[in-house]
Amino acid sequence: MHKELSDLINRNVTGANAVAYLTADAKKFDSSITVETSHIYKVVEFLKTNKTTSFNSLHCISGVDYTDYMEVCYMLTNYDPSAVRNLTLKVRVTDRVNAAIDSVVGQFVSADFLEREVYDMFGIKFNNHPDMRRILCPDDWEGFPLRKDYVAQKDYNGMTVYPDNKMNMEDREFIVRQNMIKKAQAEKAQ
Amino acid sequence: MNTQVHHTSSVKEYFGGLWDGIYSSLKGMWITFRYVWAVAPVSIEYPEVREVLPERARMRLFNDALNCISCTQCAMACPVDCIYIASEKLPEGSEIKKTSNGQAIRLHLTQFTIDTALCCYCGLCTTVCPTECLTHSHDYEFSAYTIDSMKYDYLAPDIVAWRDRIVKA
Amino acid sequence: MQTRWDVGEPHKPTINTRTEQLKSDLLTLNMGPQHPATHGVLRIEIWTDSEIVAHAIPHIGYLHRCMEKHCENLDFRGVIPFVDRLDYLASMNMEWNYAMTIEKMLGTEVPRRAELLRILTCELQRIASHLMAFGTYAIDLGAFSPFLYAFDYREKILRLFEEVSGARLLYNYIWIGGLWNDWSPEQISRVTAFCDDMEEEAKKYHELLSMNKIFIARTAHVGVMSVQDCIDFGATGPILRGAGMKWDLRKNEPYSLYSEFDFDVPVGTGEVGEPGDCWNRYIVRMREVVESIKIIRQVIEKLEPGSIMGKVPKVMKLPEGEVYFRSECPRGELAFHLVTKQDSKEPFRLKVRSPCFTHTSMLPRVAPGQMIADFVATVGSIDIVLGEIDR
Repeated sequence: MHKELSDLINRNVTGANAVAYLTADAKKFDSSITVETSHIYKVVEFLKTNKTTSFNSLHCISGVDYTDYMEVCYMLTNYDPSAVRNLTLKVRVTDRVNAAIDSVVGQFVSADFLEREVYDMFGIKFNNHPDMRRILCPDDWEGFPLRKDYVAQKDYNGMTVYPDNKMNMEDREFIVRQNMIKKAQAEKAQ
Repeated sequence: MNTQVHHTSSVKEYFGGLWDGIYSSLKGMWITFRYVWAVAPVSIEYPEVREVLPERARMRLFNDALNCISCTQCAMACPVDCIYIASEKLPEGSEIKKTSNGQAIRLHLTQFTIDTALCCYCGLCTTVCPTECLTHSHDYEFSAYTIDSMKYDYLAPDIVAWRDRIVKA
Repeated sequence: MQTRWDVGEPHKPTINTRTEQLKSDLLTLNMGPQHPATHGVLRIEIWTDSEIVAHAIPHIGYLHRCMEKHCENLDFRGVIPFVDRLDYLASMNMEWNYAMTIEKMLGTEVPRRAELLRILTCELQRIASHLMAFGTYAIDLGAFSPFLYAFDYREKILRLFEEVSGARLLYNYIWIGGLWNDWSPEQISRVTAFCDDMEEEAKKYHELLSMNKIFIARTAHVGVMSVQDCIDFGATGPILRGAGMKWDLRKNEPYSLYSEFDFDVPVGTGEVGEPGDCWNRYIVRMREVVESIKIIRQVIEKLEPGSIMGKVPKVMKLPEGEVYFRSECPRGELAFHLVTKQDSKEPFRLKVRSPCFTHTSMLPRVAPGQMIADFVATVGSIDIVLGEIDR
């Protein structure tokens, strides 16, 4: 099914370079189709409007950070019991500093909140999005939490992010302190 | 968009609607009025009357430190890292005590602290304890004035004294 | 004022000859994070022209705990208490969906008794969640009695759950491969007694609230979300069914043992009001309670003694791959997108597709033109839980 779909996409959207990733065990894992990042809007438009696969609902946009690249997965679906029901469409983003993809908000209104969440968590901006700002974190938060190289800021508006009195460092270092005390006592005894 | 339906009603519709409104409200009020005499009250007068919790209820944790073999399984299973354990090897030639279910205690437990402010009362630590010394008691009234006093040191004598109340033979 | 997502036509203030001289601006109100009717910490910025809402912009994130990042450092079993705390009013359904995601990847076989008890528990949880939705919706609109009646019956379910799992709200009961504890025959007989009582009680609620003229006047024709709107926004669950589309994952893409059971899928037909309005969404939930009772009765008939835990390795190492598993939760279609690396002991990425997140994005479309009281009724009818939205 994914092979036919990727061929269909390649025939109708030039430059999409759709590659189907088929898993060895379809009962355990999901297959997906990866397309060229710059053509995501055209691919999504084609998948929504053509007669064979009318994916008319976007349920989820999930970002994944593999450290050398970031992936954005679009979960498309339709409610027609006779057609192909679900599809995972993936695009890759390699630029971590100025990550940007075209927004699909023109085709699917649900992408509004979903893309804002991906921006908030991964820092991937979506071009032509009507309201590109953080949704879950506060508006002036620094950093993108779900990236693998994320380090939380020390201070936020005058409050410490990881205050010492709540980190329980004394309890974690109990045995280290006990050993140091014993060593000091042993040295004193000599 | 909200569409308010405005139309002038006939006499029959007007009085019919009036009757519908009064009748449905009265039917509802009758249901509520029955609660005055026909339904037994479900409230219990806490704190004079306290509910008996079911056996499996997961309230405050209790660790029987005398039976702990320092395996640190509970600390590893805890999803919020609220258990801090430190132990050291027993000095040479000391007697190896046994736990209540027969296992040998080969390590001397020096620290067993649980930060009950972090604990999420999920019970994962109690399921992995091999000697079942870590259990959930039925205490739920343990609010404190400071966050630091929510750290329970299970080797302290006042907490060990809870054994008599909580551990059953 | 920065760029805003102006959905639909903002309501233009009516200007007649007398008020032409007066310049009227839109008033900004915060249906703020602390509000009895927002079912959690949701802030909706409402721009009103006297009583009529012109724009409504939801702001979320007040309960954001970044659970998805926490899960990347936790063992697969340790994620279950975190998953509980997503939609805390329907924890069993959250746990079940997560357990099924992991079991699909591991290829674990769950024993039949465990599957049946999972269905029993999750349908009871669905009844409890809908009772909560019913009670709080009624009290949002000003009806004070149904709230306590609903909570009385919800208490019976929670008490049963406390006896079986140990906790009343955040259970950590449905484990990977099966269940933690077993149900005793005495508890099962209490479930049967509860089902009989609940059927009577549902009829009582129908008389008390659903057919009450005042309730109908406040909810019929209010907050209409058509089927096309729902599909565009990705709305699922009672909202899509209230709009008229017969779509339930338990029937259309059956998971677990749902294909063995005989139950209906209630749909909003517009017997009062029109399909897609608040009344129809509400009545879909009330009818789902009756359908859940049917399923529970059938489960109890099929229940047989057996083991409740399948074969699961002590140290869970998952192969490399990704799974997107969806299931029908009381509030819509929940899904987990799990990505793992080879022989990993923790999830590489766990994404939660929360139904309420997409439902909140429908508010700016539905709000313009409504009065503030109607807006409160609409927000209550979409039945959101902020734990799921913010994670």
